[in-house]
Amino acid sequence: MAKAQSKYRFMLSRFLGFLGRLLKNGKSIFGLIIISAFFILAFGAPLFTPYTAIGEDPVDRLAPAGSNVPPTWLRYLPTWLGGNPNLSENMLIVQNSGSPKLVAQGGEWNSTSDNPNVSIDTSQVNYPFPPPMGFTRYAEEGSLNITYSRKGGTMGGEVKVVIFKEFDYPYSGSPYSFYGTITLQVNGTTATASLPLVEKLEVPVKVNVFLGPVDGRKWPIWPPTESLLHDVRVPRGFTKNLLTGAPGPIERPLVGELAFDNVTKQWINSGWITSVKNELSTICSDSQSLVNPKSVFGGPPNNPSKIVFSSNPGKYVYGIEIVFVDSYSIEDVSTTVILDNFGLKLIGTSFGLLGASHRGWDLFSQLVYGTRVSLYLGVSVAVFSVFIGLAVGLAAGYLGRVVDELLMRITDILLVLPGLPLLVVLVAVLGASIENLILLLGILGWMGFARMVRSQVLSTKERSYVEAAKAVGAGQFHIIIYHILPSVMALVYISLATAVPGAVTAEAALSWLGFFDPRRMSWGRMLNEAVVEAGAKTSWWWILPPGLCISLLAASFILVGYALDEVLNPKLRLRK
Amino acid sequence: MYSFVLLIIVIFLNFAIFKSMPGDPVQFLMQPWSKDAPEARREQEQLLRDLWGFGESFDVQLVKYIRNLLTWNFGTSYIEKKPVITMMGARLPYTLLLIGGATILSIIFGVIVGIIVIQKRGSILDSGAVTGSLVMGSLPTFWLGLVFLMVFYTILHWFPNKGAFPDSWALGWPVPYSVDSAYTSTSLSAVFTFNMMDTWTFIAGYLQHLFLPLLTLTVFFTGGWILLTRATMLDVVTEDYIVTARAKGLTERSVLFKHALKNASLPIITSAALSFGFLLTGAIITETVFTYPGLGAWTWQAIQVLDYTVLMAIFYIISICVIIANIVADLLYGVIDPRIKYG
Repeated sequence: MAKAQSKYRFMLSRFLGFLGRLLKNGKSIFGLIIISAFFILAFGAPLFTPYTAIGEDPVDRLAPAGSNVPPTWLRYLPTWLGGNPNLSENMLIVQNSGSPKLVAQGGEWNSTSDNPNVSIDTSQVNYPFPPPMGFTRYAEEGSLNITYSRKGGTMGGEVKVVIFKEFDYPYSGSPYSFYGTITLQVNGTTATASLPLVEKLEVPVKVNVFLGPVDGRKWPIWPPTESLLHDVRVPRGFTKNLLTGAPGPIERPLVGELAFDNVTKQWINSGWITSVKNELSTICSDSQSLVNPKSVFGGPPNNPSKIVFSSNPGKYVYGIEIVFVDSYSIEDVSTTVILDNFGLKLIGTSFGLLGASHRGWDLFSQLVYGTRVSLYLGVSVAVFSVFIGLAVGLAAGYLGRVVDELLMRITDILLVLPGLPLLVVLVAVLGASIENLILLLGILGWMGFARMVRSQVLSTKERSYVEAAKAVGAGQFHIIIYHILPSVMALVYISLATAVPGAVTAEAALSWLGFFDPRRMSWGRMLNEAVVEAGAKTSWWWILPPGLCISLLAASFILVGYALDEVLNPKLRLRK
Repeated sequence: MYSFVLLIIVIFLNFAIFKSMPGDPVQFLMQPWSKDAPEARREQEQLLRDLWGFGESFDVQLVKYIRNLLTWNFGTSYIEKKPVITMMGARLPYTLLLIGGATILSIIFGVIVGIIVIQKRGSILDSGAVTGSLVMGSLPTFWLGLVFLMVFYTILHWFPNKGAFPDSWALGWPVPYSVDSAYTSTSLSAVFTFNMMDTWTFIAGYLQHLFLPLLTLTVFFTGGWILLTRATMLDVVTEDYIVTARAKGLTERSVLFKHALKNASLPIITSAALSFGFLLTGAIITETVFTYPGLGAWTWQAIQVLDYTVLMAIFYIISICVIIANIVADLLYGVIDPRIKYG
């Protein structure tokens, strides 16, 4: 026990001495700091960036930014340094779109209605956004009910209610785009028309979502064509699949059915009518491609956000105009418009620390998560190839004869084979998953190290202490592990450090050539997407960081390896 | 002799690797959208297989393969339908120019910087140079190329971004000389005039396109040479005869260049010989970045369409180069250092 303790104490003191010598070396300090910084980035990636590994929004899986936009800090840079004060940033106009509330109830929406028949209140019913859109963030409880009810015999007419929110737009350039969401349901008393048997709301509704400067033209941004909401079926054409970008009808939302049922119960209980008119339409209006930009903006298809925000900066207003078209009827009539998920987001022309890719993905989070790929691959390859090299070197050096001859010839052959072309061919055929890469790089990367180990073993084998061990009767395995292995450990440490950069740059080169793991975003893939896919050859904020990271990581490992070499080979130290 | 055995094994290995690979070039070539009847398609596929000898047994294929290698008959590219050897002949000069130039330039720079650094060993300049060369050697070449492209092509417009010569030359090559020939019934007279202006545009056109890839590769290679020169010179300068030379009162420069460099050049020259062996492999990435029409870019194109004929030929050539370089390095050892006998 005491013996073991003293042994560990000795090992500890030896390790501390080694560490002390290593830390005296400026190169190794620099390298170790960079490496640990990268490890911190890799392990703490979710702490540094709110987005996913490929830079999507983790909640709604959407691109958080405009396509190929520069970083935000360019706004504050002087123009002669490449800055652009006209850039705008992302803005969430509606803070809580999941449960819209009036200002009086602690919400953010203002309302105007001069008609005593109109009442606006908040209900706890939630209308979830349908799953294809994935807007889980709008799943909050609560919706806004705008009810128009008139006693029979009184006068009707067109009654207009406006729900709006004013906001300051601080940027001197227009946004890249805007998109909003709305879920609308209309219920009310119906009258059964004659043939064909279609039940229609007695008070149909016209809806118009608008956006524009407070003292300027308010642009109608939804629906694309004006229509009366009174049909039984779900209106088509109001929907746009944000994921595929294709405008067009979607099927009646499945999640909506639940809300539909809830609502049905409620109305039946109230005893209004037997059949309820439900018009649940969920839309997204995306300014990049309005369904019919011509009809809305009266000009050639243009980026609507530029037109709407042409008088920037200033006060703007976003809202919805609901018109109850009440033609006179002697009965009691009532129509309720349920408004939910009413939101708007402005996508700026700049984004984040490093801008965004052509798909609008956050580049900074790609860079941070890319650290994981590079470190995982680099360290695995280093361990794998050093392990093979060590085994081959030990066997060839110590066992000698046929084993030596055989192993060294295999080494020679692998050295003669063209490394990178072979790697590219193998990856092209076997697939570019990261595990494949680790295997291939490990198998193709051990030869030089095996040779070094072999020559070290050859010289150690002749030392007198090994012969003494042999004379005492120690087995081959014992001698290799306890006497030969310690003499090559210095080589092992150095090789572990110097094998990483080769693997990292090889991975980057392969990814750049297009052989990347589609499930992972690596630094090489970032460069591939920047140059090959997006052709963004001037986007230095996109091209420079991944390459710098690769070089920095590779250089720091090489520096540590070099410092290890100096510390572990005393000959080198003396020669200065 | 040993090298010869190695060559044969490598040839076998090349053959085995490509034969065991999945992917059928016949399927690749057959158009899936073709409206031919299935029987006709099958007939066509069979014809192709027969033409390429896919149906024959493994040993027959191997013998044919080796015979073709020995006669430098690499066959016809599956995709481009031209003999591989002519295509290689068109591309090899560019690669040799690029990588050979980069290797030579980097050796010159590396040795000079290495010797300068040695004079001030232990100083900040020394450790700075070591760190710098370590960093330079670890830069990803393709990224370096991209940055050069961004700066010198996209922003400054100083250098072109692709090809080995101006695009306009594809329509009509500038002729560095003109031949006025006249046929008469009895004789053919030819006047050969050298056009100086066109020669200049000719050279400038090539150099302009060569510059950026050359710069990239030179930067990438130089670091290694600095380190090697520094390491070997460190070994040499501590030896007794250098002390003697200094004691004689020779200048530091003459000591370093005349006495030290001569002995230190042994590992440098061997590494140079070895590096020429790998010179064809280093170009894939750089040539792809700059779309330079050399062997590297060709390899890349062949990999993308799995053109095995081309790949096998390239692998063969590279292996031969490496083996020859090994032999040359061994022989050079003997020439430079008479104490070593090769055999």
